Amino acid sequence: MRKLFLAVLIVAVGLLMALPAVAQDDGLTFGMILVGPQSDRGWSQAHYEGGQYVEANLPGSQMLVFESLNSADAPETTLLQVVTEMVDQGATLIITSSDAFEEDTDVVAEAFPDVTFINASGDNAFTGEAPANVGNTMGQVEWAKLIAGCAAGLTTETGSIGYLGPLINGETRRLAASAYLGARYCYENYKGGDPAALTFTVTWIGFWFNIPGVTLDPTAEVNTFFDNGADVVMSGIDTPEVMTVAGQRAERGESVYGVAYDYAAGCDVAPGVCLGVPYFNWGPAYLDIATRVNEGTYTPEWTWNGPDWSDMNNPDTSSVGFIAGDGLSEENAASLDEFIAMLATFAEEHPDADGLPTAFGLWEGPLALQDGTVLAAEGEFVKPIEADNPLTIWYLPQLLEGMVGASE
Amino acid sequence: MEIELQHIHKRFGRVHANNDISMKLRGGRIIGVLGENGAGKSTLMKILSGYQPADSGAILIDGREVDYHGPQAAIAVGVGMLQQDPLDVPAFTVVENFLYGQPPAMTRREARAKLAQISREFGFELDPETPSARLSIGQRQQLEIVRLLALGVRTLILDEPTTGISAQQKTILFDALQALSREQGMTVLLVSHKLEDVIALCDEVVVLRAGRLVGDKMMPATKAELVQLMFGQEIAPQERSSGHIGDAVLELDSVTIQDRRVRVESLSMNVRAGEVIGLAGLDGSGQEALMRACVGLINVAGGRVRLNGRDLTRQSYRDRMHAGLAFSAAGRLEEGLVAGLTLTEHMALMDNSRAMIDWPAARQLSGKQIERYNVRGRAEDRIETLSGGNQQRWLMALLPEQPRVMILEQPTRGLDIDSARWVWQLLLDRRAHGTAIIFNSPDLDEIVTYSDRIIVFFAGRFHVIEDASTATVDALGHLIGGNFEEAAR
Amino acid sequence: MTANRTTLRVALLVAPILLSLLITAVLVLAVGKDPIEVMTAILEGAFRNSNAIAGVVNFWIPLTFACLGLVITFTAGLWNIGVEGQMMMGAVFASWAARTIVLPTPLLIPIEIVLAMAGGAFWGVLVGVLRVRLGVNEIFGGVALNALASVIVIYLISGPWQPPEGGSAQSTPPFPAESLLPEMSPEFPVSLLALVLALVIILTVYFALRGTRWGLNLKATGKNPRSALLLGVPTTQTALSAFIVCGAIAGIGGAYRVLFTFDSLRPLPSGGIGFLGLLVVLMVANHPLIAPIVGFVFATILAGSTRLRVVLQLDQSLAEVLQGFVVLLVLMANGLRGRILSSPRSSPEVVQEQPAPTTVTSAAEAASHE
Repeated sequence: MRKLFLAVLIVAVGLLMALPAVAQDDGLTFGMILVGPQSDRGWSQAHYEGGQYVEANLPGSQMLVFESLNSADAPETTLLQVVTEMVDQGATLIITSSDAFEEDTDVVAEAFPDVTFINASGDNAFTGEAPANVGNTMGQVEWAKLIAGCAAGLTTETGSIGYLGPLINGETRRLAASAYLGARYCYENYKGGDPAALTFTVTWIGFWFNIPGVTLDPTAEVNTFFDNGADVVMSGIDTPEVMTVAGQRAERGESVYGVAYDYAAGCDVAPGVCLGVPYFNWGPAYLDIATRVNEGTYTPEWTWNGPDWSDMNNPDTSSVGFIAGDGLSEENAASLDEFIAMLATFAEEHPDADGLPTAFGLWEGPLALQDGTVLAAEGEFVKPIEADNPLTIWYLPQLLEGMVGASE
Repeated sequence: MEIELQHIHKRFGRVHANNDISMKLRGGRIIGVLGENGAGKSTLMKILSGYQPADSGAILIDGREVDYHGPQAAIAVGVGMLQQDPLDVPAFTVVENFLYGQPPAMTRREARAKLAQISREFGFELDPETPSARLSIGQRQQLEIVRLLALGVRTLILDEPTTGISAQQKTILFDALQALSREQGMTVLLVSHKLEDVIALCDEVVVLRAGRLVGDKMMPATKAELVQLMFGQEIAPQERSSGHIGDAVLELDSVTIQDRRVRVESLSMNVRAGEVIGLAGLDGSGQEALMRACVGLINVAGGRVRLNGRDLTRQSYRDRMHAGLAFSAAGRLEEGLVAGLTLTEHMALMDNSRAMIDWPAARQLSGKQIERYNVRGRAEDRIETLSGGNQQRWLMALLPEQPRVMILEQPTRGLDIDSARWVWQLLLDRRAHGTAIIFNSPDLDEIVTYSDRIIVFFAGRFHVIEDASTATVDALGHLIGGNFEEAAR
Repeated sequence: MTANRTTLRVALLVAPILLSLLITAVLVLAVGKDPIEVMTAILEGAFRNSNAIAGVVNFWIPLTFACLGLVITFTAGLWNIGVEGQMMMGAVFASWAARTIVLPTPLLIPIEIVLAMAGGAFWGVLVGVLRVRLGVNEIFGGVALNALASVIVIYLISGPWQPPEGGSAQSTPPFPAESLLPEMSPEFPVSLLALVLALVIILTVYFALRGTRWGLNLKATGKNPRSALLLGVPTTQTALSAFIVCGAIAGIGGAYRVLFTFDSLRPLPSGGIGFLGLLVVLMVANHPLIAPIVGFVFATILAGSTRLRVVLQLDQSLAEVLQGFVVLLVLMANGLRGRILSSPRSSPEVVQEQPAPTTVTSAAEAASHE
């Protein structure tokens, strides 16, 4: 036994020393750190594909991926260790693709002042909390959520829509609220329903994806929605449980629909019952940043990128998009197109200023929060984002009046 | 069916349990297998019945060598063993247990018919739908015998079958065994240390000592001859001893006990210093419940337990031990000793005066006790590596030196005559110093020999024999079967 | 134990680890990668420089705390699945101190650690009380309390302890610098205090199990609670004390996660380290000195695999496969060792040795009679 051990040891050490050094590429090496699996058909996969887009369009660039960096899946490692390894491999740009990394990104960035960090969906570069080498980027998916909400409002027959939210924060509240505004508008204006009679219920499972024993079980929650009379459930989480359950119930003959979220191919799980999917297209923003980092011209900034209204689903120009699903009836699809055109017109009338949006469609007074606080008076628009102003879309402190569900 | 064993060897570490054993067993006979504890008889029987493989040697059945692994395979060639504690599943009914091992095609109805037929043949009374947990040991034996016979067994091995059964059941069992050998030509192997049984039943005996076959003898033979064969020397019968009996130490005042199997109603008794009280009864008749209630392992449903006038009724087991009771349970490795701990560790466990263990002192004390109690084993041996007799000795060595009352479940369970006498010598020494002893035993002989008073239990009822010297084994045998009225007459 | 047996013991621990490396190498070949490169990446990832070694040590420290706690409960025959929750509660209590108490570091750290021990012990005693008083199997009780601890953590993070800019359910705001465990040096970022504490606890547990009455009580209770009770061991108190001590030690591990690994309370601060600890302790059959060594092997493989994933872009499951093989093969070797070492000593009465550790099927029963 000991002889074998010695032999193996000697061979191992010998081979170790014989190993050539890892070859380095000339082009940009960038790290992509994901909170979930790179094939989660959701948030993390969208980022991963954004990175692939960079690799395809920036010659010589190479992506290093680290998936599922969270304390449940990888308790043995930290953001610092992963970044250290990536920088060791020559990475000069690190993308941390979750708000889970927001705080750690700032801390780690201090240790690597020569490396550029991008924290997707964060706002520390906007508020000035981040070090000088950290930037943020986000897509204006609120538009797509408005459209998705409209599709739900057009389709519901029971007048009851469920929204499966992840955890509760400003981002998730504003997205749920956008969906609600779209649903309410289309339910009233195209379908002719009474907006006060529309039930829009939000259930938060507690995290971006199912962690057994920690979060609520998304599958069970979707079933609860349908059992309680909803016929459309919208997903706000990173994984496709909504579509899976809707598909299963439709197969049993129920007339139910789902709206997917945050990954372009989100409808593929159950195409027949999918009303559509609002999604992020990180490629263009990442390519822009990577190109500038490669040229040495990037200064960290905070960007909130909108859709290309001429073609929302153009992979090279639009940062967010909406793909209508097969579950949408022809008549409703026509109404939805009309709605999109209306939003496009609105966006044209309220163009971005200094890289920031100035207004979002339907985020117009009179609007109040759940506790009655006035968010915008008649004729006013809710401001998209403003430093130290919680009554903005970005920081939305509560759900809107008319929505059912916890705000905190 | 003729069985031949050729040069069987079996080693357990340092112990040569079976050393070159060869013998021929002819059909149609009842053969007693004798030997003191650790002589290797159980090992040999387990090898023959497939429960253990031999290290070397051969088993020939009707001249053909067989090589089986496991008891099922042994049964297939016609050899079945009835374990001392029958291996039935308590939760299953009689017929369900019976079905176990039968051909898969057998229906429940067929099983019931076959069960009834074989039972009738031998006068067994087995209700097919009774869960086996509710059967007495005697009935469970009967069930196992019926099952093995239905499986076509032609050689039946019985390990201490008369322990824990009533006189009536013993008669039925012996009749059945005789019928099987005389009328059906089966081979019956009887492992027993009860020489009376062997004399009454066997056609010949084989004797093992220290792993070797040391002799065989055609019956009839006298008890003294058999003892000489087993021990190589004669052992004089132990005299009934009587000591000085003092004042009451343990008082039971209308104690009522309810445990899972039995209810004992309103028992009052004063146990006096230096007195030995023997509890007789079939397994689960109330004697174990009474002993455990005395030491606080079972709560009493009513009445009081006092030691030297101090009320212990609500005290815990540990408090009662501190107050002067001592207890040892029947199942040594299940209750009493901790398999995996060494002798020294057991000794250290008994001293709870200090937080740190003084290992040198514990080792020294163990060494002393090993010598004093004549334990075959070393201080650093794990307890389960000792033989049953030596485990019992160690259990005795651990008990406090001079408790007020010792309450002992089957203190000589599984011990050979020599070891059993030795244990009793020890107990009687303590008794001479004023310790009262309450014990039970399935061996009625033991109860008659050592008790000053006897309490016989049957299904929770009890009958007190105030002067044990008037009791006989035969009378007790009938009493434990429930014939209290007859005794009163 | 003779020298020969010790050699065998060590060989039977090392051999399966090497064998599992070999099997993994074959698997790596099968997916078209170079196994040598894989092993190199792991070893480099773990030991390339002092920073990398620190990464291994920083995973090893909480794992060791979990392991040592579990050695105690396993010795008492208890399957303390709840160790994960006990770590989490240690983290919560330490977090409370770090957030609330304003004191200089040398005063604050001991308070945090004591509170973490109290938190873990509290969670441990709950499992114990459920076990000995209500007869709830400690496995079920542990699972339930793990879930509850996790819910409490998430509640605190997204509720009362959320950052001022609003909860994101990701973490509390960073604790003040004074409340965190200081690192030895930037080149070797490891908490000296925690390292020393880990070593002290390893030795303490070792000697407590060997040399104290309490350790012997644990052992007796674990092997046979009925007999232990009859021999005068207070089995109920012993079982409870095992849960308390295990919880307290695991609580330190939890505190380490929030006061050093992170700088704030995060969801699932224990990160499954407690479960890994269960595996390790099972593998080494409760040995308090060998558990930290095997724990180090695991820490090496896991921490080293970070580099593996970045450099070779291999799926993370590879490290898990490797870990799985290590566990499986070591457990098999344990069975083998049981046969080799115990067969010359087994007695005619005991045909099969009981697997260690045994569950205390009748402990509750035994306890109820106490």
